[in-house]
Amino acid sequence: MTRYGISRRAALLGTGGAVASFAIGGRAFGQAPAVVFGALPPLTGAGGPYGPAMLRAIQGVVEEANAAGGIRGRQIRVVAEDDQTNPDAGVRGARKLIDVDRVTALMGTWASSVTTAVAPLCWENRIPLFTVSGADSITLLPHQGFIFRTQPNSRLQIATGADFLIRQGARRIFHLAAQSPFAQSSQDVLLEKFRAVQGGAVAGYIVYERDKTAFRSEVDQILRARVDTVFLNGYLPDVTILLRELFRAGFEGRRFTPAYAVNQTTFQTLPNEVTNGVVTWQPSPDVNSGAFRRLQTRFGNVEVDPYSAQTHDHATLAILAAAQAGDASGVAIRDHVRRIASGQGEVVDNVADGLRLINAGRAVNFDGASGPVDFDDRGDIRGTKFRYERAENGRFVVMEIT
Amino acid sequence: MADWRDLLQVLVNGLMTGSVLMLPAIGFSCIFAVLRYPNFAVAGFATVGAFAGWVANVQWGLPVGLALLAAFLVAGAVGLAAEETALKPLRPAGPLTVAIASVALTLLLENILRFVFANDLRGYDLPVLRDWRFEGIRINPQQAMNVGYAVAAASALFALLAFTRLGRAMRAVADNPALADIKGVDPGRIARVAVFLGAGLAGFGGMLIGLDTSIDPLTGFRVILSVFAAAVVGGLGSIPGAALGALVVGVGEEMASVLLSPAYRTVTAFLAILLVLTIRPEGLLGRRG
Repeated sequence: MTRYGISRRAALLGTGGAVASFAIGGRAFGQAPAVVFGALPPLTGAGGPYGPAMLRAIQGVVEEANAAGGIRGRQIRVVAEDDQTNPDAGVRGARKLIDVDRVTALMGTWASSVTTAVAPLCWENRIPLFTVSGADSITLLPHQGFIFRTQPNSRLQIATGADFLIRQGARRIFHLAAQSPFAQSSQDVLLEKFRAVQGGAVAGYIVYERDKTAFRSEVDQILRARVDTVFLNGYLPDVTILLRELFRAGFEGRRFTPAYAVNQTTFQTLPNEVTNGVVTWQPSPDVNSGAFRRLQTRFGNVEVDPYSAQTHDHATLAILAAAQAGDASGVAIRDHVRRIASGQGEVVDNVADGLRLINAGRAVNFDGASGPVDFDDRGDIRGTKFRYERAENGRFVVMEIT
Repeated sequence: MADWRDLLQVLVNGLMTGSVLMLPAIGFSCIFAVLRYPNFAVAGFATVGAFAGWVANVQWGLPVGLALLAAFLVAGAVGLAAEETALKPLRPAGPLTVAIASVALTLLLENILRFVFANDLRGYDLPVLRDWRFEGIRINPQQAMNVGYAVAAASALFALLAFTRLGRAMRAVADNPALADIKGVDPGRIARVAVFLGAGLAGFGGMLIGLDTSIDPLTGFRVILSVFAAAVVGGLGSIPGAALGALVVGVGEEMASVLLSPAYRTVTAFLAILLVLTIRPEGLLGRRG
């Protein structure tokens, strides 16, 4: 009998809740409906250390835009879902954002596997996807112009990294890559680059699963290959374990890794003797730009990672494009991004100035925190700098920015 | 494979991997033996233990041995509390319902930890030691110690089951709950003890995983598949079986990464389950029926 009592109470509560939500919803009528953007950063999983800041950057831009009057009088709302650095969760999140929240732009996908899974939903529903993922294959998808990528593609990244390694004297390299859409294309580029130099060779190539917790056998293979450099092409959790295992095994060669795989967290997790000498590289945000400095101030003058700089630009691009179009639909945003991202317009570095100029009927050219944000025909970014750093006693020392 | 050294190295690596899987697998089997449902929340308990040990070791400055004890006690207490509040009321609905609820419980525990400790990776306050080398075989001192801790904890459990009144009562309930009940053994109390021990061992094992790698809220979740495989291969409900199953899965995974492409390593867990269940459906040390 008790069971019936509970279900009746639950039903009553449910009905009450539904009535209340209608009442609250009713108040929104009469105003212009808000423009809704979807954020899909990795709040958990391997990208978890970056996702929350990426979301904060988006929310910051939206607050600033709303304070400046929104998109032609319409307020902007951000709905966020966690992609969990996992394609399944990413697709679930994207479906919810598109079908339920009716977003007109999606931004902030991080892992290439997630972006690849989410992209078809975006172009089928005719909304743009702004991403920080690097895999080459992403902009080669038949996306009809709906993908905008602020991260240089992995081919360019790996080629630049390989050139740097060769300049530093690397000849025999072992490529240890996490299972990802860029593992094979990275390997192709490395082969091409190292075969082209005297004595150069990619002496080993292993693709591993990201969720692994033990890498002893892989490290055995690295030791056996007698290489001068190991390229750890993975993510933070697995590269942390790998660095520890390499140290334990007494590997003395050069360790090279993307900057997202070794960061400040690594220094708190591993002793300095393990991390000393690790070299990282990454596309560098435009640290001298006004947009970057403002973002840094907004974050409380802490270090701003390149992904937050990029999502800051994602939100700004979407808002300014919608304002320029006078229409916040996905197609209108897609068609106007290039118009406000490049061209002869007045250069602006923040959303408020951009909105003011657009409202005054003037042309703008937005230069972001991540760089000049100029896109080519495929949706790839142009003109990014790279930054090389070496870990020394728990901090990074800049080797070069080129 | 080049020579016997490589084979021996793979075996050593496999035993190391297996020994950290062993305790969560034993915990899983211990709960299954008494309560007859697969409690996937051992993944969550392992993570809780890893974080409890981290707080004890890094924030309170306790040595690793005491931190492992803290991991055991906190994970056991959390496991018991979760069982009593969340899973026990669902028992009448059948084992499948409880098993599904235990998956939800893992997600809940994982997210509570994420809320408190955030996503960052954390390491214990331990020096990273260089490997010992014997005839070209690498053995890491920390990993060797972990094997020692795992064996000590498993031995303590075996001794408890074999030589104490409580252990006999637990085995009696596992063998035949109705008969044990008639003989005056309180099945409710035995269930609570089994859950406390099972969750505690999972927590202990979680911290061992962390000592070998580093911890984050997904620490337990990453290994749950291998842990489940170990328990099934060994024979669900058999505690020595879980220990043996963990070693089989550990060696199998390492062997596979040499023979197959490393990307297929997790497949070994499934292959081990498939192979063992085809030949011996009750598991290596399980009993028929």
